[in-house]
Amino acid sequence: MCGNLLETRDLRVEVNGVPILGGVDLEFKPGLVYAILGPNASGKSTLAKTIMGLPEYKITGGDILYNNESILRKTITERAQLGIAYAFQTPPSISGVKLDDFICRICPDYQCKAESDTLMGETCASKNDLYDNFERLGIRNLAKRDLNDGFSGGESKRSELFQVLSMRPKIMFLDEPDSGLDYDSLKVVGRELRTLREKGDTTLVIISHHRYVLEFLEVDKVYILQQGRLVYTGDMSDIPALEEKGYEKFLSEVIG
Amino acid sequence: MTSDDMKKRAESAKEKQAQYGEDIDLDNYEYAVSEPSEIESIDDVSPEDQSLVREVGFDTSQENVSGSFIQFDTESILADVLLTQEGLEVLPMSQALKQYDWLKEYLWKAVPVDVDKYTARSELEIYNGYFIRAKAGTKIAMPVQSCLIMKKNQTVQNVHNIIIAEEGSELHIINGCATPSNVEQSLHLGVTEFYVKKNAQLTFTMVHRWSEKTDVRPRSAAIVEENGTYISSYALLSPLKSIQTFPKVRLFGSGAKSDLYSIVYGSKKSKYDIGGLLSLEAPRTSGKVISRSIATDSSEIIARGDLVGLSGQTKARLECDGLLISDSAVIRAVPMLAAHAEGAELSHEATVGKVGAEQLNYLMSRGLNEEEATSLIIRGFVKLKVPGLPPALQSSIDDAIKMSLEGGM
Repeated sequence: MCGNLLETRDLRVEVNGVPILGGVDLEFKPGLVYAILGPNASGKSTLAKTIMGLPEYKITGGDILYNNESILRKTITERAQLGIAYAFQTPPSISGVKLDDFICRICPDYQCKAESDTLMGETCASKNDLYDNFERLGIRNLAKRDLNDGFSGGESKRSELFQVLSMRPKIMFLDEPDSGLDYDSLKVVGRELRTLREKGDTTLVIISHHRYVLEFLEVDKVYILQQGRLVYTGDMSDIPALEEKGYEKFLSEVIG
Repeated sequence: MTSDDMKKRAESAKEKQAQYGEDIDLDNYEYAVSEPSEIESIDDVSPEDQSLVREVGFDTSQENVSGSFIQFDTESILADVLLTQEGLEVLPMSQALKQYDWLKEYLWKAVPVDVDKYTARSELEIYNGYFIRAKAGTKIAMPVQSCLIMKKNQTVQNVHNIIIAEEGSELHIINGCATPSNVEQSLHLGVTEFYVKKNAQLTFTMVHRWSEKTDVRPRSAAIVEENGTYISSYALLSPLKSIQTFPKVRLFGSGAKSDLYSIVYGSKKSKYDIGGLLSLEAPRTSGKVISRSIATDSSEIIARGDLVGLSGQTKARLECDGLLISDSAVIRAVPMLAAHAEGAELSHEATVGKVGAEQLNYLMSRGLNEEEATSLIIRGFVKLKVPGLPPALQSSIDDAIKMSLEGGM
């Protein structure tokens, strides 16, 4: 068995003095697809944001290892540069920064040589690619808008997905990538993630309740959190039963 | 008013302190003793001075401008109009006053000579400056560029400018002021009077770069007649000792419009007291006062905005937004609204805040470091799209901001 890309060891986290995670051990291997499930307030988003390094999530114990090295002392930027990405559920708006310019700035694939390339009325080649890809995700209309400013729920999800995809991370945490999406957008998102899975060089961690996306993606492993602890590890085959019974009943049956 | 009366009124206001801003002892400075000399062409300007004027956006090739004006201290002046440009005049004020007797009527008409000791002193000492006029019905497509440079120590640059956009004309002026950083204590007194006649359009764009030892007291005002439009954009991006300015725009004729935009990037120990007043004096007049302030280091910024509705059927809006980058800096936003007539619709919005941690963390999670993320937020914050501004002017403001942010961070 190959090693872990990322793992948490007895990870304990509190937010504003309130303990949220009470010692969580998880393993993520390269190229696999994981679902983190669990009832509301079980600590799923906290886990992802803590791994990303957001400062309000205070680690009170345990460790996070990336390629077997602790990343606790690394800044958000350093973690992003190592290949960890997190798609925000409700990203803050940044006024005066246009989505297309921002993506050119953060994504190696689209880096335009300089902003002035476009000022003169020319459009650099990578911008054309960018617009084709925007079209594919159905967010072409957002290109010239200020980042996250007034984006609808569904637009935010697709823009976030677009950004983390184009950063080409080693591991990405998608926080409810499917909430607020209509059927058509759901298909678009599912297809994008499926393509990524087939390429096999990114570990996908999906926080979701939606059976559709999880089954479409063929999740390799399912982790269920409850009250800040890992209470169950399973796979795809558990999902129909979960959906039918709900967390409480499912967990009481499997854990006893 | 005769010039003797004018001098008398100036004398009477010689000790009158300004409404806002720190008081300056005007006797600590030397004033010009003779009329300035004329520079024939830009080629006669030394390479060092050419690079200085380029820093505030002056195009020394003069390729994309319709006219140019440069004044060094109160000593020497270059005034030049493109030969093929009809209907445009750019003259040193001293010459214009000799040439046109009627011009006296415009002196101190928009800005009263006895506003305070600075206007009074400006009248009482030798002054120069520019007279720019677009003749009736002419559209001057390319901007006129003007530049005021202060190089001497311990002196006052005393400037009086008059700009007239005659009926139906269109005129764009880009104005840069600069002091080289090696200049010791100095003072800039700048009086500028704008006259926008019926159906005329005037845009005035200023980029300033002063030295840390310079005090600046501009006194300007505009009178806008029926259906005229006056758009002013001001970018002050360098540290200085202090500046206090509170330009007043009178929307005098029905349908007159004015937008005042300002961007202040405060740094070091500089003190900025910058505002703008719109006086809505006729029906269907409208306008905006929009300011963006960024305070770093130990800078202090006061951003004032004043809307005065003297007539019904008027509408104006004030936006003062401030971004604080340092714990030792201060931003004070002072919005003022005064309605004197029913149907004067005045509104304001003022915000002062720090760069949000949430925004920073978000951008950092996309791989930017903290400095890059902060600078992106600031750049976004100051991005002001001024409607009606020619693209070349917009990009020169954008460039100036970019340069200053990159230099400062």
